[in-house]
Amino acid sequence: MTGRAEIIDLVYEHVLNGEAEQAVGEVERGLALGVEATALLFDAMIPALEEVGRLFETGEVFLPEMLLAARAMQEAMNVIRPSIVAAGVEPIGRFVMGTVAGDIHDVGKKLCIVMLEGAGFEVIDLGINVAGEKFVDAIREYRPDAVGMSAFLTTTVREFDRNVALIEEAGLRGTVKILIGGAPVNQHTVDRVGADGYAPDASSAVRVTKAVLSIG
Amino acid sequence: MTPRQRVLAAVNHEEPDRVPIVLGVSNATGIKMKPYRRLKQLLGIEAADHYLYSWPELGTAAIDEEAMVRLGVDVRGVLDLEPASVLERNAHRPPHADYLNSWGSGATEIRPGEWFPMVCPLASATTIKEIEDYPWPDMEDPTRVAHVAEQAARLAAENRYAIMATPWLLFPLERAFAMQGMDTFLMNLALRPDFAEALLWKIQELCKVLMGHFLAALGENVDIIKIGDDLGTQESLLMSPAMYRRILKPIHADYVRFIKERTSAKLFFHTDGDVFPLIDDLVEIGVDILNPIQTSAGKMSNLEELKARWGDRLTFCGGIDTNRILPDGTPDEVAVEVRRVIDILGPGGGYLVSSVHTVMDDVPPENILAMVDAVFEFGGYQQRPEKPA
Repeated sequence: MTGRAEIIDLVYEHVLNGEAEQAVGEVERGLALGVEATALLFDAMIPALEEVGRLFETGEVFLPEMLLAARAMQEAMNVIRPSIVAAGVEPIGRFVMGTVAGDIHDVGKKLCIVMLEGAGFEVIDLGINVAGEKFVDAIREYRPDAVGMSAFLTTTVREFDRNVALIEEAGLRGTVKILIGGAPVNQHTVDRVGADGYAPDASSAVRVTKAVLSIG
Repeated sequence: MTPRQRVLAAVNHEEPDRVPIVLGVSNATGIKMKPYRRLKQLLGIEAADHYLYSWPELGTAAIDEEAMVRLGVDVRGVLDLEPASVLERNAHRPPHADYLNSWGSGATEIRPGEWFPMVCPLASATTIKEIEDYPWPDMEDPTRVAHVAEQAARLAAENRYAIMATPWLLFPLERAFAMQGMDTFLMNLALRPDFAEALLWKIQELCKVLMGHFLAALGENVDIIKIGDDLGTQESLLMSPAMYRRILKPIHADYVRFIKERTSAKLFFHTDGDVFPLIDDLVEIGVDILNPIQTSAGKMSNLEELKARWGDRLTFCGGIDTNRILPDGTPDEVAVEVRRVIDILGPGGGYLVSSVHTVMDDVPPENILAMVDAVFEFGGYQQRPEKPA
């Protein structure tokens, strides 16, 4: 019979290699054999995703491989989520995320979400072309620790300024950290917009978020 | 020296009278309609709006001749069109309905007048059979290039401007993104390489048919032919160099060979992002002009190294930053940046000034003028040319 250690190893390998079907198969087999969902998550899936992120940052894997790993992670997460919830694992923070109004680019945002979920955050995805008012409503409704806004175009980066102003007007600025991302975004943008930080890629999004939220 | 002589000297790595300017004539070197309207206003040009490729949803302006002269643009474009039936169908579709092109892909209006490519007809395809069964566009439709021969012949007869042919998106990778969605196709490249390659080669086959007709219509009346494929991201490549070399490079090489067998025009390759690690490959397959030199992306900011390593074989077109300088800089800052880029990329020829990709809605018209005026002021090699009236 396959042992627990072997299943953990296989889940790790399949997520790392972006093999969604096999990752899901091993996770299901693991659960059936009594391997705890938390072990699958914390000992296999999250380390695999962290490794993919590291390899992406060092230029050893690229978008195709990272997208596949993210998809494998997501599909495996869908299998273990009920067990994780049942196990009473609390998210380390709550994130509301969206691509700003006038913009539909979401490859980077989707990767960020998977990386953040993998790191233990609960992420509410507002989707693409999200109006500033919707961000404000979502902050009121979900009371997140952080709100993430993505923009791919220099023209839609302007929405950050508008949205930060709307959040301030709503009196919510003090309740939430604001993180931004997207191709034209850099520290200048953060300073101009009055955000709390940015991540140049999905892999560093977790690090930046933890630093901004002072999560160890 | 005529503008055409200026361009030909530059792309042959000789110093003309001044650095040539390439604006308009393609989406990648173009100006969106909103900033162009402001430019027309500033210049006192009263002309109706016309769009590149007769395609309002793309939103890129066909620049009026009067503005082209004021901007000192040294090239004139020859473009293809979607089949007349497709243009007609789209012109008469219900307001705000998706725009669908002849490939079956298209754009959705997400806010009034703002269209994004979101209709991907092969999004769920994973098999060769689905590629074979797909109703691919008719590249033999003569209305795609019916205007090309006459337009190019007229420009050639004038012999004033370099002729730059910019057929729309005959780019295999980007066309695959349009058919499948970017993330889906990127995953298929890794997950189902046989399928991904088959799709790329199928697209390439169609691109070559239209490109063949386009080049036949141009005859000798073309100086620059534009193709491309976005290969870079802000900090890196879309795919590993190994994957590029295994799957896409043979396709690009085949395409360049096909084109060069039919024309002596210089091969202009547009590719966004940080493509530094692939420049040797692009030079090797026969690329003559690299665009847009996205200085905001990774190692592409290192213009000195670009010029030192490839300046003898490659002409650079672009380099004027649209991330920060053109939208946010003052006209003086724009001038300083244009001078800096010219000082690095200009020596010995081999540089064509252009914005890094399309001039977007956030660029003030004063900065567009500051960009070209800086070329008039600082772009001279020996003598200072007269600024156009």
